[in-house]
Amino acid sequence: MPDRAQLETFTAGVETAVDVAQIERQLHELWQLAAESEKDPSQRQITRDCLFSFIVLCETDAGAAHAGEVISSLTSQHPCRAIVLSAGLDSAPSELSASISAHCHLAGTGQKQVCCEQIAIRAAGQSVAHLGSAVLPLLESDLPTIVWWQGNFLERIDLFRRLVAVADRVIYDTSAWTHAPSQLAGLARVITEYPRCSFADLSWTRSGLWRRLAAEFFDEPQCRAELKRIRTVDILHGGGPGAVVRALLYGSWFAAQLHWPVPEAKMRIHLSQRDDPEAASVGILSVTIKTDRATFSIRSDRGENTASATVEMPHACGLPRKRAFWRSDDASLLSQELDHSVRDAVYEKALAMTVALLEEDSH
Amino acid sequence: MQDTIAANPLREGLSTQPAPEPCALVIFGATGDLTHRKLVPALYNLAHEGQLPQSFAIVGFARRPKTHDQFRAELRDAVAQFSRFQPINPAVWDALAQAIFYHQSEFADPKGFKTLGEFLQKLDAERGTAGGRLFYLAMSPTEFIGIIEQLGASGVARTHGSPPRIIVEKPFGRNLLTAHELNHKLAGVFPDRQVFRIDHYLGKETVQNIVALRFGNEIFEPLWNQKYIDHIQITVAESLGVEDRGSYYDNSGALRDMVQNHLLQLLSLVAMEPPPVLEGEAIHDEKVKVLRAIRPITPDQVQQLTVRGQYAPGSMAGKPVPGYREEKNVAPDSRTETFVVLKLFIDNWRWAGIPFYLRHGKRLPKGVAEIAIQFQAPPAVLFAAESPVPLQPNVLVLRIQPDEGIAIRMNAKVPGNTINLQPVKMDFRYGGSFGARSPEAYERLLHDAILGDSTLFTRHDEVERSWQIIDAIIDGWNASPAPFPYESGTWGPTEADEFIQRDGREWRRP
Repeated sequence: MPDRAQLETFTAGVETAVDVAQIERQLHELWQLAAESEKDPSQRQITRDCLFSFIVLCETDAGAAHAGEVISSLTSQHPCRAIVLSAGLDSAPSELSASISAHCHLAGTGQKQVCCEQIAIRAAGQSVAHLGSAVLPLLESDLPTIVWWQGNFLERIDLFRRLVAVADRVIYDTSAWTHAPSQLAGLARVITEYPRCSFADLSWTRSGLWRRLAAEFFDEPQCRAELKRIRTVDILHGGGPGAVVRALLYGSWFAAQLHWPVPEAKMRIHLSQRDDPEAASVGILSVTIKTDRATFSIRSDRGENTASATVEMPHACGLPRKRAFWRSDDASLLSQELDHSVRDAVYEKALAMTVALLEEDSH
Repeated sequence: MQDTIAANPLREGLSTQPAPEPCALVIFGATGDLTHRKLVPALYNLAHEGQLPQSFAIVGFARRPKTHDQFRAELRDAVAQFSRFQPINPAVWDALAQAIFYHQSEFADPKGFKTLGEFLQKLDAERGTAGGRLFYLAMSPTEFIGIIEQLGASGVARTHGSPPRIIVEKPFGRNLLTAHELNHKLAGVFPDRQVFRIDHYLGKETVQNIVALRFGNEIFEPLWNQKYIDHIQITVAESLGVEDRGSYYDNSGALRDMVQNHLLQLLSLVAMEPPPVLEGEAIHDEKVKVLRAIRPITPDQVQQLTVRGQYAPGSMAGKPVPGYREEKNVAPDSRTETFVVLKLFIDNWRWAGIPFYLRHGKRLPKGVAEIAIQFQAPPAVLFAAESPVPLQPNVLVLRIQPDEGIAIRMNAKVPGNTINLQPVKMDFRYGGSFGARSPEAYERLLHDAILGDSTLFTRHDEVERSWQIIDAIIDGWNASPAPFPYESGTWGPTEADEFIQRDGREWRRP
C-alpha cells in the first residue's frame, strides 16, 4: 500500500516506476489513499476525473516529453486516463517498462484538486510487438478510446491496426509526415477500412479558420450566387512543415464541396509557394477567390495574429472582417478535435479529392 | 444558369452557425453598469469567436454628452476588465470599435429618436446593416414604456430590413398590471416573436442542462413524478446584501426581484413535460402550462405557505455587516423582505401532491443556486434491524452556481461484517470534466437574440402568469405582520426551519 508521501509525489506529476502488470493495482491504491484523505479536512482534497482513455503513440523521447506537456495542458478541459506509449526501434534490445504520474488542477472555484492519470509505457525491441496487450487492460470501460499518433501510422501499420481495433477516434498530423502527399492515397484507404472509427488530421484542423472565413463570404444569398461563377481559387502557402498538404486539402475542399469534376478542379485551383525566409515556417498565407465580377480575399497577418477577409464586388456583401487566429499549438488543436467524435465527412471528401488531383497529376 | 443556391455548401461540417443577418444594435442605457460589465464584454467575446453579423453596428444611447471615441475608450477599458478572453486582442477590438457609436439624447426626447433614426439609416448605407435593428433596454425600468412609445412614434422601429427586435431587461413590470401594460405597449410596436425578455439565469449552462439531463437520459424521466419524488427544493442564496441598490430593492423585495423570474423559471424547467421539439415556442408552451398549473397561494394562505424574512446585523466571513434597515437608501422601518420561502403545488397529473419549496435570501452564508430533487425513502423493512440510522432518501442535486454540476446521493454498504448503510455522493462537476469554457450567460443570450432564437427568453404569458402568482402572495403579505428578522450570515429566520419541519422535512444545507 502506498503512503502519503507517494501520493504527494504522484499528484505532483513526478513519474513513479511501476511493474507493467501492477499499474492498475498501484493506481487503485493511490486513489484509495486520496479518498481516505478526503475525510480529513486538514489534507488537500483530491479527486479523479476521466471522460475517455487517451493513447498517445510516441516514437522518440522528445516526443514522449512533448506528449506529457500537451496532456498536462489538455486535462483541465478534457480529463482522461492518458496512456503514453513510447515505441522504440524494433532492432533495439527488448525492454518494457512503465511509470505512473498525475496531472492535477484546481476545479472551478473550489479548492478541490481534480487529477488525471498518466501511464507511460516504454517498449523497445521485440517488446514493441506486445505493446497492444499491455494497453488493452488499461482502457477505461464504457468510455471512448482516443488515439493520438504523433508520427506516421502508415509506417507502423501492424501496431496501428492493433490499436485502431479498440479506438473510437484516431488523431494524427500529416504536417509531420515526411512524404505526406505521396502517402495520402494510403491514408484514404486506411480510413475507409475502419468505418466505426473517426479520423482527425491536425493539418486539416489548422485550416479551420480559413474554411470558416471562406464559408462566411457566401452566407448571404447575393454572394452565394457567386459560388457558381468561381473561376479561380489561388492559394499562396509558405514553406512550413505540411504547408503543401494543408493548401492541397484546402483547395480540394472547395472542389469537393462545390462538386467540381477533377479536370475542372485542376483548372481552377492554383497553389503557389512563397519562398522567402519569412514564409519558411508558415502554412497558408492567402486565398483569393475570383468570379466574373467579384474577388474574395483572405490574408493572414502574422504580426497581429489575425486573418482579414475582404470582398470586392458591386453592392458588396459584408464589410471587411478581421478574426483572431485560433491557437495552433498541439494542445489547442487536440482540444478542438477532442470535442468531436463523429467521422468528418467533409474532410474525407476533401482527402478523396486531393488523392484524385494528385493521381491526375501523375498521369 | 440558375442564379440561386439554397444552402451554402461551404458551411457543411463547420461547427459554427451561419453568420447572423446584418443588424444595428441600439443599447439604451449605454453608460450604465450593465453595458460595461456584461453587454459589451459579451459582444467582444462574440466578435472574438466570429459570431457577430458581418455587417454590424453598436449604437450606445444615453443622456450624458460624449464623443464616439470617448465612448469607445470607456468600453475598451470595460472589455479589458470583464471579458473572458484575456488579454484583449487589439486587432479584434479595433475591428469591433469601428462598429461602435454613441448617440446622446434624453430618453423622452422625440428629436433624439428622430436623429437616431437618421443615424441608423446612415449606418445602413455605410456599414451594410441593411435596416436590421435590435434594441436593448438596459436602463431603469421606469423608462421602458417611454422608449417603446418613442420607438413606435418616431418610426425608428419600422424599417425595410428584417423585423426589428427588442431585448427587455428585468424587472419586467412590478406586478401583473404593469407587466400587462408593458406587454401591451411592446405589442403595439413589436410582434411578440421579436420581443426578448431577459432572464439571465436561462443563459446559464446548467439551467440549459436541466432539459438535457431530463430528456437526454432514460434513467431519470421515468422517476420524475409524484410516484417517486417526495419533494423538490429550489434554493437561490446570495451572500451579498443590497449593496448600492437600496432604493430599487426597498420598493421591490426578494419576491419580485428573484422569485417572480429566476426561481419560477427554474421551477417550470424542472416540472415541464417534454416539448415535442427543441424549439422556443414549444418550450414556452410547456413552461407556461406548468405556471398555469401552480395552485395560487391566496392571501389567507400566506401564513401557512410562505415565510418572509429581513436580514438584521450579523457577520459575513468574520466581518460585521449592517442589517437591511441600516443600508443606504433603505427606510429605517422598512417592511421589505430580503428572504422568502414558498411552498407551491402543481396541480397536474405528474406533480399532484408534491411540494416545491422555493427559497431565496440575501446575506445568507454563501452564494449558491441549486435544485434538489428528493426522492421518497425506500421501504425500511430490509435494513431497519441492521442499520443504526434510518436510510437517507436519494437526492439528485443540480448545482447552478458556483461549481456547476450534478450530484446524486445514494446509500451504500460500509465495508465490514455487518450490514451498515451510509449515504455516499456521486458528483459530476462541469469545471472538472469540461474546464471553464462555457460562454457567459449574456454572451449566449445576446447571440440568440441576434439570431432571433427566443428559446432562452421568457414569453409574455409566462411573465404575466408569474406575476399573477406573486401578486396574490403580496396581497396576503400586506395584511400580515412584518418579515421575521434573521441574523446576517445565517440560513434565514428560524421560522423558515419550523415551516419545513412541520412537513416532516429539513432544508438542505447547500
